Amino acid sequence: MEASGSADDFIPAALAAFGVEADEIELAVMRAAHELLWPPILELLSLDTGSAASEPAPDLSQPPRR
Amino acid sequence: MSEPLDLTLCGQAAAIAAGELDPAELLEAALARIEARNPAINAVVETFPERSREMLAAAPAGPLHGVPVVIKDEWPLPWRAQRFGAADMLAKTAPGESGPYRALRDAGAVIVGVGNMHELGASSTGNVSVYGPARNPWNPERCPGGSSSGPAAAVAARLVAGAVGADGVGSIRYPATYCGLTGLKPTFGRSAMDGHHMADLSTTIVSGPLCADAGDCRLLGSVLYGEELRTGDAAGLRIGVIEDEVSEDVAPAVREACEKAIEDLRAATDGEVRKIELPELAAATLATVLIANSESLGGVTPERLNNLHPELSPLGRGLLKYRLMLPAVAAVKAHQLRAMARQRLADVFEEVDVIAWPTVPAVAPPLEAPLVELPSGTLTADAANVRGGALANLTGIPAISVPVGSSEGLPVGLQLQAAWGRDELLLDAAEALEGANGRRWVEAAPPAAEPTEV
Repeated sequence: MEASGSADDFIPAALAAFGVEADEIELAVMRAAHELLWPPILELLSLDTGSAASEPAPDLSQPPRR
Repeated sequence: MSEPLDLTLCGQAAAIAAGELDPAELLEAALARIEARNPAINAVVETFPERSREMLAAAPAGPLHGVPVVIKDEWPLPWRAQRFGAADMLAKTAPGESGPYRALRDAGAVIVGVGNMHELGASSTGNVSVYGPARNPWNPERCPGGSSSGPAAAVAARLVAGAVGADGVGSIRYPATYCGLTGLKPTFGRSAMDGHHMADLSTTIVSGPLCADAGDCRLLGSVLYGEELRTGDAAGLRIGVIEDEVSEDVAPAVREACEKAIEDLRAATDGEVRKIELPELAAATLATVLIANSESLGGVTPERLNNLHPELSPLGRGLLKYRLMLPAVAAVKAHQLRAMARQRLADVFEEVDVIAWPTVPAVAPPLEAPLVELPSGTLTADAANVRGGALANLTGIPAISVPVGSSEGLPVGLQLQAAWGRDELLLDAAEALEGANGRRWVEAAPPAAEPTEV
């Protein structure tokens, strides 16, 4: 689905579900963010990372534990 | 000597320590220069001359004794709460002693002003702020970079020789590049962060220095780290470069300057350039955005979002509300991608010492419309910049942006990234690069800040 198309349905529906109001300018900002972020998010969601290496509570000041 | 404010941070500290420069005169000169030059660039959003004079009067004989600096509007000071560049930051703040403040105070530095920043730290451009945008000293119609826009613009305009920024997704390195400075993003956790309103939540943000050159970053960085960043040797440097679709989507002039700088660095260190692969890079960029944008949401409620301060920009309001819609599953996968990227980098850093690529793919865009032209087409600056800036924040590794050229009269920066804890190597490499190009780019001054003789 095109992000621009889904934004027209998705954003108002999500706002309504959360009980959050938005004016036209805010909606335009959200649409722009959605068009930018949603396609890679869908790509990410399509990845099965269930068997990927995990690193619980990583110490980001250090390399990963081997 | 040259006008003292045009000296480097190291030069100012050394001149004061040698008794050749009166720090009280330097402080007054800094305040006067801020008054004279700041209206054109809006880099400093608040000064507090009496507080600064009190800091100087009480300053210990530390490594920055009597040296004026600017600190980003991201940490509290004992006399001022941070505003995060915003009319509404969704967090309770109060005046207090932050880690960077204590580090500066204990080093003898004098905080002379607070630096502007992009609203809520939410962009690489610096073109939106509750104080009005900061402007790029190289061209006031161009973005200074963000979110540490004010600290960078202040140093580039020679209001001060050093400033403290913060980097959650490239926010020191982007403005360093746009303003022609050297900016160091420390290894996660190595630099002072306590007192930041997200210090206990964020896994991406660090404090770090913005200065003219690597030597100044070493000095100010040592203060922020609480340990000396010792000079080492970059001889035999193994420089990793990647060649893929995204990494090559760079404006031709930027690409040319960075390729020349990489060759200069190789030659200066008698090193070698090796091709590496980072197939997780594109996904890692998204992962960083998802993690950085979700870690700050604890205080968000629908009621709060329906009652945002009216002076928060429409951009800020819209982005805050959109964050509610980010899927939790994507955040989970983002953390798995972080693990994969860290593992990949650990392997890569067995083969190379640094990874090099352009800090951002195009020079500073117009303030009014921050878009960049790349071989792939027109992109928002944020969408383009995050590609190169995110990896270090996602994985915790240190990174530095070094000025290496100019295009359209605007600076070009090369980013170097190293393994965890090898921050000093980045400074060594940056100094080697400065030596290779005769310090041409670190000494370049924007028209409004041409050095003057007295």
